[in-house]
Amino acid sequence: MDLLDNYKKAWKNQPEEVSKRSTIEIYKLAHSRSASIVKWIFIIGILEFVIFNALSFFMDIDKANEKLNTLGLERFIFYFNFIYYVVLAYFLILFYLNYKRISVIDNTRVLMKKILVTRKTVKRYVIFNLAITALIVIIVTITTLQNEFDVVGGTNIILITVILIALLGLTLGIMWLFYQLLYGFLLKKLNTNYKELSKLNTNN
Amino acid sequence: MQKDLERKFLLDFEANQNIVHKICRIYTTNKDAHNDLFQEITIQVWKNYLKFRGDSKFSTWMYRVALNTAISLYRKSTRKVKTQDFSAIAYKIESTPYEDTEEIQLKALYAAIHRLNDIEKALIFLYLEDKPYKEISETLGITNVNARVKMNRAKEKLKNILNP
Repeated sequence: MDLLDNYKKAWKNQPEEVSKRSTIEIYKLAHSRSASIVKWIFIIGILEFVIFNALSFFMDIDKANEKLNTLGLERFIFYFNFIYYVVLAYFLILFYLNYKRISVIDNTRVLMKKILVTRKTVKRYVIFNLAITALIVIIVTITTLQNEFDVVGGTNIILITVILIALLGLTLGIMWLFYQLLYGFLLKKLNTNYKELSKLNTNN
Repeated sequence: MQKDLERKFLLDFEANQNIVHKICRIYTTNKDAHNDLFQEITIQVWKNYLKFRGDSKFSTWMYRVALNTAISLYRKSTRKVKTQDFSAIAYKIESTPYEDTEEIQLKALYAAIHRLNDIEKALIFLYLEDKPYKEISETLGITNVNARVKMNRAKEKLKNILNP
């Protein structure tokens, strides 16, 4: 007889759980709040959408617009805003649909894949935002430098550009690290398990 | 309607809760975490109970929801947890003054399973519960062949831990 067969017998004969839950206890548990990672991803995702949009409220829009107008960028900003909100809506809808599709009655691999897809949508949104921010900073800087070349003076331009690029790089780097930590912490186990199942399907 | 459904759920779940306890015992090592996972599984089973159509046995369906919750949805509680081994405590309560071979075997089995990874735990659990390969591959979302290959590896690993 196989070694495991003995253990299997012991498994089958194991006593029932000592602290069984009554129907009242089960009722209370079933109606308590879930703390699953899917819920966390949804909450954090929504927060990210909100935070990135709220950032604009902290800026002095009127003053910024005035400045942009003097730079002749108002048309650009108008189209830019339009496209930005279309893309934002697209991401929000996609995020919600992905979230809705997650179902614990799927098989394990599909379930994990859907969770990772939902997280990827938010990741793309964050990358989109960071890229847009970088783009705007670069465009405004170039235009400013072109318009106010005389004021700033030749040698300073290089210095300003270098400082700006360094700051931009630093900010993006910090944000990237923050996201890696946030989601890495949340999804470490899921990623490992998903790889374990996927590896299996490609290797054999 | 809702009340009837709820009553049916409560009775189904109560009758099959031993499955959930076993899964909790496999995936956690202390009482707090056990209760935490049990709670999350209860929530998930109830949340999805409407989608349970009854074309399979409730217990079969529950295996999937419970395992999925343990493998994919559950994150270890951030609460401070005691490091004492829960399965050891559970059996202390159960055990009679003398320990028979099966009890010792069962303890060793749980201790060995705790050293497997999440996927191997699921495979071994389904093997111990006598689930056919068809059901195992469908639950995990891998092909029948892969399920067999992976199962053999998991069994070998378990044997090596049990009998080094």
